[in-house]
Amino acid sequence: MKIALSWIKEFVDLNGISTDEIVSQLTMSGLEVEDVVDQSNLYKNFIVGFVKETQKHPNADKLTICKVFDGKDDLQVICGASNVSAGQKIVFAPIGTEIPNGNFVIKKAKIRGVESNGMICAEDELLLSDDHSGIMVLDEKLEAGKSITEALNLNDVILEIAITPNRPDALSHIGVARDLAALFDRDLIIPEIKLSESSEDVNKLASVIIEDEVNCPRYIAKVVKDVKIKESPKWLKDRLEKIGLRPRNNIVDITNLVLHECGQPLHAFDLDKLSDHKIVVKSTKSETSFTSLDSKERKLPLNTLMICDASREVAIAGVMGGENSEITETTKNILIESAYFHPSSIRKTSKTLGLSTDASYRFERGTDPNITKYAAERCAQLVADLADGKIANGIIDVYPKVINPKEIELRFSRTTKILGYDVASEKIKNILSRLGLAIKVLDEDKLLVSVPTFRPDIEREIDLIEEIARINGYDNIPTVSKINITLEKKTDETEVDEKIRQAATSLGFFEMINNPLQSEKEVKISGSPVKLANPLSADMEYLRSTLISGALITVSKNLRQGVKDIKLFEIGDVFNKTNEGEIKSFDDFTEDQNLLFIISGKEQDKGWNTEVIDSDFYLLKGLVDSFLAKVSLDNVLNDSYYAAANEIYAYYLTKNSNGVELGKGGKIKSDVLKQFDINQDVYCFEFNFTHLKNVKAKNNGYVDPLKYPKIIRDFAFVLDKSVKYLDVKEFIKKKSSNLLKEVSVFDIFENETLGENKKSIAFTLEFYDKDRTLTEDEVEKDFNNLISLITKEFNAQLRGK
Amino acid sequence: MLDKNITEIKESFYTDIKSVSSIKDIEEIRLKYFSRNGLVSQLFEDLKDVVKEEKPILGKKLNLLRNEVSSYFEEVKERISSTQSNKENEIDLTLPGKNYIVGSKHILTQTLDEIKSIFKGLGFSVANGPELESDYYNFESLNFPADHPARDMQDTFFVSKDFLLRTHTTPVQIRLMEKQAPPVRAIMPGRVYRNEAVSARSYCMFHQVDGIYVDTDVTFAELKGTLVSFAKQFYGSDLKYRFRPSFFPFTEPSAEMDITCYLCHGKGCKICKNSGWLEILGCGMVDPNVFKFVNYDSEKYTGYAFGMGIERIALLKYGITDIRIFFDNDLRFLKQF
Repeated sequence: MKIALSWIKEFVDLNGISTDEIVSQLTMSGLEVEDVVDQSNLYKNFIVGFVKETQKHPNADKLTICKVFDGKDDLQVICGASNVSAGQKIVFAPIGTEIPNGNFVIKKAKIRGVESNGMICAEDELLLSDDHSGIMVLDEKLEAGKSITEALNLNDVILEIAITPNRPDALSHIGVARDLAALFDRDLIIPEIKLSESSEDVNKLASVIIEDEVNCPRYIAKVVKDVKIKESPKWLKDRLEKIGLRPRNNIVDITNLVLHECGQPLHAFDLDKLSDHKIVVKSTKSETSFTSLDSKERKLPLNTLMICDASREVAIAGVMGGENSEITETTKNILIESAYFHPSSIRKTSKTLGLSTDASYRFERGTDPNITKYAAERCAQLVADLADGKIANGIIDVYPKVINPKEIELRFSRTTKILGYDVASEKIKNILSRLGLAIKVLDEDKLLVSVPTFRPDIEREIDLIEEIARINGYDNIPTVSKINITLEKKTDETEVDEKIRQAATSLGFFEMINNPLQSEKEVKISGSPVKLANPLSADMEYLRSTLISGALITVSKNLRQGVKDIKLFEIGDVFNKTNEGEIKSFDDFTEDQNLLFIISGKEQDKGWNTEVIDSDFYLLKGLVDSFLAKVSLDNVLNDSYYAAANEIYAYYLTKNSNGVELGKGGKIKSDVLKQFDINQDVYCFEFNFTHLKNVKAKNNGYVDPLKYPKIIRDFAFVLDKSVKYLDVKEFIKKKSSNLLKEVSVFDIFENETLGENKKSIAFTLEFYDKDRTLTEDEVEKDFNNLISLITKEFNAQLRGK
Repeated sequence: MLDKNITEIKESFYTDIKSVSSIKDIEEIRLKYFSRNGLVSQLFEDLKDVVKEEKPILGKKLNLLRNEVSSYFEEVKERISSTQSNKENEIDLTLPGKNYIVGSKHILTQTLDEIKSIFKGLGFSVANGPELESDYYNFESLNFPADHPARDMQDTFFVSKDFLLRTHTTPVQIRLMEKQAPPVRAIMPGRVYRNEAVSARSYCMFHQVDGIYVDTDVTFAELKGTLVSFAKQFYGSDLKYRFRPSFFPFTEPSAEMDITCYLCHGKGCKICKNSGWLEILGCGMVDPNVFKFVNYDSEKYTGYAFGMGIERIALLKYGITDIRIFFDNDLRFLKQF
């Protein structure tokens, strides 16, 4: 919101206080000043110039060579605007002037070979408007050489203030002035209105009925007759333009002026367009369409609060007037509306229509029901003064239930308890009074505070404490240098996540964070994803049901950037619906934390001393197993293997605990890859991390390093191709004596000499005992026994014999 | 005679060994002096023929000689053989070492880790909560009435009428207070969502850390002390700061904390919009209405709460200009941290 300091000063005496101090105090009391435009500084170098002569530029069609008189000398200036002509008074920027829009400084220059000594300005260059259609042409009576800050009254300071939603009272010049009065301990001056009314009774000219008293607790109408619609006087136009409003006509401009002065939105109807000269405030009983004064036809839902006349709707209450009753050049008699509407009613309307106006913005935050009369009278008097109207006698004020100030008890002791320091009771009383609150001392510790209706945000003792804190300054609240720390157990629910991240990064994985909002096509690769009711766009319409989709998006993006070797992990939440219906409770969906590993391309590059390692299923499996070992979950989970494809994987394994699947991964199917525009193999493993966290890690305790030598034996068998390594290994472990402790594979191959559908697997067997040295004989016996058993069981042939 | 020989052999040994330059030379000296028939061995042979009276003295002398020259010989042999073997293998130490890749946590995780560790040091626990939240936890219990403009402060993604993607991590405060009686002191990191157009400066998803402390006698002064301590640990101890009144429905009084712009040191620049200040967090005293929702007695207990955005902190700290880069997951970016 823009505030003009000169306007503020009509309501509070700020003599002797610098702009910097005003700005800083406003910000530090909760009215954050986001921008300050000091016009007298901004325009200090600009002067009124007189264009004496013009002639065409010899080398450019669109340029004009002007002789400009700056009050002392005639200067040659090149101008590009088509509307420049001799005899005009213009805004002249001499050499050395900084131009506000673009921060450049005017220098002596040659433009297409002709010297130019300054610039003739357009409105946009001065940040006065967006207009760049031509140069600003000034009143010809202005004296050349005079500073424009003086000549055009551009000597104000404009503040851009961010008003938080709890402070509707500050959405006007009087509102801001009231805070300044409290901050600088000065008086707030609200000028009295000297109303000059005609003898004609307003009740004979119009009538008002409120049918919906809940949503419209008060409606005031004031009638002014015989108005002349015309351009507003300069002072009024200047005032509106300073705060960024475009002047229209005197009536509209006056309602805007009063709005920005005291915060009450007003609307002026053409009285003669209201049938029976009647206002009825009621909510729509059916869906209606209505043309607002911006000429747009709007569909009004059921229960929209409307202003109607005897036969039809004439305005959307609190939001915008209607085209059918608006002020036009021919309007003679007007009805000024000054009402109080219920905030949530206006908010609903504004939200459903997607239409926010200066009026609805204030009504939905809460206006003052008791400023309505002042605003109506102020407006009527200005109309009388500036549009030659005659104010009808009296006021129509429908106010069935008067809204009175709230009374709240405030304890000084409570103030200290919350803020952590004592604010002197006299100081507290002064702050509250300056803010317009009435106080009564109840006892030594207690005040009874009466809060006027312009402060709907102050409802409780704590709200009063905030007022004291912010006006007295947060800087005055001490900053303690010690705190108490309780000695009870501290918990960290993210501790496990951290361990997981450590383990993953130590294995060479980089962490990614993907956007869980994805397109339908992307999320539908698995699960039952949750759809958003109001997505930002189609490519972010769903919540992911797996981490795989996001990971594949990331792989695809990296490939497009030429990054082909991928080793990434992610910890993140995934969402799945548990039934088809609308989500009405936490049972209708699951939110699980998942953990995903994804690899693609080369794990290791060819180097001068390294061989290429490509990502493949066994690399994935090894990484996942190493990861589980790092987090002490190895040997706790069982693997299951699936050689046939599912919806995502061409082949995969699962990790299970007590029959519950905790994770799954393998080679991503090529049609899934194609969908993500990926043209190289990708391997990925996803854990349900929420479930994985619940698995109890093994606790091995400490094992003494082996003191006695191991005896190591190798053998290799030619087997049918269909025989699985794991089956042979399990068989060996089952059939051997307890001296055999480890079985591992060290070679595997197929070739023609082995025969079709045959392969060779070579095993290493480790025999040892922690309490003694084994003899060759006992190992040999066990080893030979295994050879004959394997040969029989698997129809195998021992190699090398 | 033997005495004289001892001196001569000693001298000749030192002369010979000076000119040694290869393993071959070493071998020659070994043969000449230390082999079975070498000169030193010969001296011991000669000792047998010496008269009885002189034997102990000469024997001692001979032993000293043998120890001295043989240890010097070993030293030289060691030196020669080590330089010789290097020359023979010609190892090129300038070749690069084996490339070993260790991964890394996302920069946002790293930033969060730093914040977490500071607050854990100040006695805070760490708590989690769901991202898909109910309207009750995200808004209602945090004193955002339905149809109140305060809801406009946080554009929301809804999945149904009553369920939404949380717009802040503050709902975890409610969940925590529902579970336990005061004192409560915890931070709540997590992911939040806002229905805002994606640009260099804003993303529809980001991360926050909220914090809360409720006990008897918690004051605004303590809130200031705690947050100043955090900011000084995180941003540096010479930091200047200010607390400015603001508005959040769930705190009263509310404040925003600014620190001097680290880029312009308060002079005013593009990053701080010429104000010289950077807003780093929002905070305030827990609103009594919030206590009502979790059945805490607001006469007995007071508390403070705060919240900050992690992306914003990381953007400022690393001079990153586009927030989207955090979620592009370009490995060339991820590997830098």
